[in-house]
Amino acid sequence: MNREKTVSRREKSEFLWGWLFLLPTMTGLIILNIIPIFQTIYQSFFKTGAFGKGNVFIGLGNYSKLLQDGTVWQALWNTFKYALVEVPFSIAIALVLAVILNGKIKGRSIWRTIYFLPMVAAPAAVAMVWRWLYNSEFGLINHLLNRIGLSSVNWISDPGIAYISVAIVGIWSVIGYNMVLFFAGLQEIPRDYYEAAEIDGAGGVKQFFYITLPLISPTMFFVTVTRVIGAMQVFDSIYMMMEKSNPALVKTQSLVYLFYKYSFVEGNKGYGSAIVMLLLLVILLITVIQLLCQKKWVNYN
Amino acid sequence: MKRRWGLPAAMAVIAATALIGCTGQQNSGQATTAGTQETKQESKQESSAAETEKEKGGSSGTLTVAIWDKNQEPGLTKIMADFTKETGIKTQIQVTPWDQYWTMLEAGATGGSLPDVFWMHSNEIARYSEYEMLLDLTDRIKASKTLEMDKFPKEIVNIYNWQGTKQYAVPKDIDTIALWYNKTMFDAAGISYPSKDWTWDDFADAAKKLTKADGSQYGFAINPTNDQAGWCNPVYDMGGYVISEDKKSSGFTQPGTIKALTFLTDLMKEGYAPPYEVIAENKEEALFEAGKVAMITQGSWMLSELCNNDYVKANCDIAVLPKDKTTGRRASIYNGLGWAASANTSMPEEAWKLIEYMGSKEAQQKQSDLGIVISAYQGTTANWVKAYPSFNLQAYLDMMDDLVIRPYSKSTVAWTNMIHEKLIDAWTGKKSVEDVCKDIDKEMNAMLAEE
Repeated sequence: MNREKTVSRREKSEFLWGWLFLLPTMTGLIILNIIPIFQTIYQSFFKTGAFGKGNVFIGLGNYSKLLQDGTVWQALWNTFKYALVEVPFSIAIALVLAVILNGKIKGRSIWRTIYFLPMVAAPAAVAMVWRWLYNSEFGLINHLLNRIGLSSVNWISDPGIAYISVAIVGIWSVIGYNMVLFFAGLQEIPRDYYEAAEIDGAGGVKQFFYITLPLISPTMFFVTVTRVIGAMQVFDSIYMMMEKSNPALVKTQSLVYLFYKYSFVEGNKGYGSAIVMLLLLVILLITVIQLLCQKKWVNYN
Repeated sequence: MKRRWGLPAAMAVIAATALIGCTGQQNSGQATTAGTQETKQESKQESSAAETEKEKGGSSGTLTVAIWDKNQEPGLTKIMADFTKETGIKTQIQVTPWDQYWTMLEAGATGGSLPDVFWMHSNEIARYSEYEMLLDLTDRIKASKTLEMDKFPKEIVNIYNWQGTKQYAVPKDIDTIALWYNKTMFDAAGISYPSKDWTWDDFADAAKKLTKADGSQYGFAINPTNDQAGWCNPVYDMGGYVISEDKKSSGFTQPGTIKALTFLTDLMKEGYAPPYEVIAENKEEALFEAGKVAMITQGSWMLSELCNNDYVKANCDIAVLPKDKTTGRRASIYNGLGWAASANTSMPEEAWKLIEYMGSKEAQQKQSDLGIVISAYQGTTANWVKAYPSFNLQAYLDMMDDLVIRPYSKSTVAWTNMIHEKLIDAWTGKKSVEDVCKDIDKEMNAMLAEE
C-alpha cells in the first residue's frame, strides 16, 4: 500500500511538472491559435455587424454566397497558380544551392549569409523594393530591358504575368530558409557513401541523383509540406505590390487577400471567415494527400 | 524509423490548421495589440503628464488626437499649442496613414480604446454612429457660445448627423478639385493656358495636342480610384450622378453618367492618357511631377505635396476645372472631415473643449491662414490663397461656386470598391461603358437595398 502511494505521488508530481512546462506554449497556442480558429468558424455563420456587435445568425448563408461567388473561385485558382510556381522553384533552387554551399568553396559563409538575408528583411520592405523594380514606367528592370533594346513589360499589371512576378518575390524571399533546412538534411547523410561512390567512379551529378536526392527526401517532404501551406497563405506581397486599381489584381489576388478585403476593408467579417474556412479545408485536403503520397517517394533510411 | 516522420508530419497538419487560424485573426490581433500598446504608452504619458500638471495646479491629462494626413501635422500642432495655452489641456497628435487608420480605429472601437479625439470621414461615419462609438455632441453644441454650426456648409454638417437627431462631429475643412497643368508643355505645343471658358471639349483638344507620338508625354492622367478628384466631376457636369439624393439608387444608367465615362475612356483609348497599366502602378501626381503628363485633376488636400515639388514649382500652375458645353455646369465634388470624440473617453469635457475650439472661427481662420486646408467655416478662406503665392490657389476657391457633396451612404466603402473594380474593364476597353455601367447599377442597387 505504502509503496503504491509513493509511486503515485511521484507520478503525480511528474504529471504536474510536465504540464507546468507545457503551460507557456499551451497558453500561447490556445489564446493565439485555437480559440481564434473556433471564433472564425463561429463567425462564418453570422452576418456580422461592426465592432463585434450586432451579429445576426444566418446559418449557411455566407457559404451559399461563397459557392456562387466567382471571385472566390478565381482567387482559389490564383492561389494555386502562385503555389505551383513558388513551391517547385523555391525548393529546387534551394536544394541546388544547399548542395553547392555544403561543399568546400571559397567564401562559403558569405554566400550562405547572402542567400539567407531576404529571410531577415521585413516582408513589407521587400515587397516595396520589388514593386519599384517592377514598375512599368520608372522601374529598374524595364530600364535595363530598354537599354538592351527590348520593350517594357508590365510586370505587375499584366494579368498573365503578375502572378509569376509575385511568385518570383516569394521564391527569392524563401530560398534562404529552405536552404538552411536542406543543410540540416545534408549533414545527416554519412560521408562514407560519397567516398564509396567516388572510388566507384561516380561524378558529382551522379552522386547528387543517386545518393543526395534519395537520402534527403525526408527533409524534402517536410519542406514541401510547409512550403505548400505557406504559399497557399500568400498575402503580404500582393497587398504591398498591387494597387486596388491594378487590372491584374482580379487574376492575382489570393484567398487570404480576399479575406482581408472583406473582413478588414469592407467590414464583412462573417463572409471573410467563410472564405478562410474554405482555405482551411483546401490546405487540409492537400496536406492529407501529401501524407498519403509520401510512401511512394520518401526514403526513411 | 518510419515512425520518426509520422510525428512531424502530424505536426505539420496541426501547424496548417494553426497557421490558418492565425492568419484568420492575425491582422485584427496585430492591430489590437498595436492599439493597446499605443494606449498603454499613452496612458503612461497621460498619467505622468497628469502628475506634472497636478503639481502645477493645471487641469489634468493629455488628449490623444488621431489623424491620417502627415502634411497637416505641423500646422495642427501649432493650432493645438494655442489651445493648450488657452485652456491648459495638453494634446498629442498621432498620425496613422489612411490605409491603416480605419483598421486602427476599428480595432480601437472594438477593444474600447479609441483615441480621445479623431478625424471622421463620410465613408465610415455611419457604422460609428449606428453603434454609438462617438461622443454625442448635440447638447454641447446647443449650449456652446463659440460654435456656430450654421456657419458651416449644411451638407458637411449633415454627413455627421445621425438620423437628424444626433450630431457626432464638427466640420473641420472642405476640399475642392481643380486642374493642374504644365505651362512649359503648353508653351511648347503653342496652346493657350486653361481658362474659365474652357469646356471639356477644349480639354480633350488640348490633351490631343499635348500628346507626343513616342509616348514620352501624354495629355492628361486621371486616377481611376481617385473618384472625387477624377471622373466624378465630369459625371455631374454632364448631368449624371453616382447616387440618388435619397441614397436608395445608383445613377449609373443615367445618360449623363455614361456620357462622361465614355468621354474619358475614349480619350484614354485614343492614347491621350498613359496606358491604364501605367496609371494603375503610378499615382497621377507622380506622373505629373515626372513631366510625363501635361494635365491632372487633383484635390486641394494635395497642395503641400504638389506645391513643394521643385519640378511642379518651376513648370506648373492651377486653373479651374473645365465646364460642360451643353449644361454649362462646372461642378466640384467636395467633402469635409469632421472632428469627433470617443464615446468612452476618460476626458469627455476636455475632448469637447478641443473640438469646440477647432470649430471656432478663430481656429478655423488659423487653419486657412497657415495654408493647412480650406477651412469649413464661412468667410475664413481668403488668406488661404496666400499659402503658396506662386500658384493660382484662387482656382480652388472659385470651384466653390458649384459644389456637389462626395457620394456616400452607409456602405460607401463596399460599393466604391465594387465600382472601381468593375470600371477597370471600361478603362482598358475590354467592355463597353454601357455594359459596365449596367452591371454596376445592378450591383450597387442591391447593396443599397441591403443598407
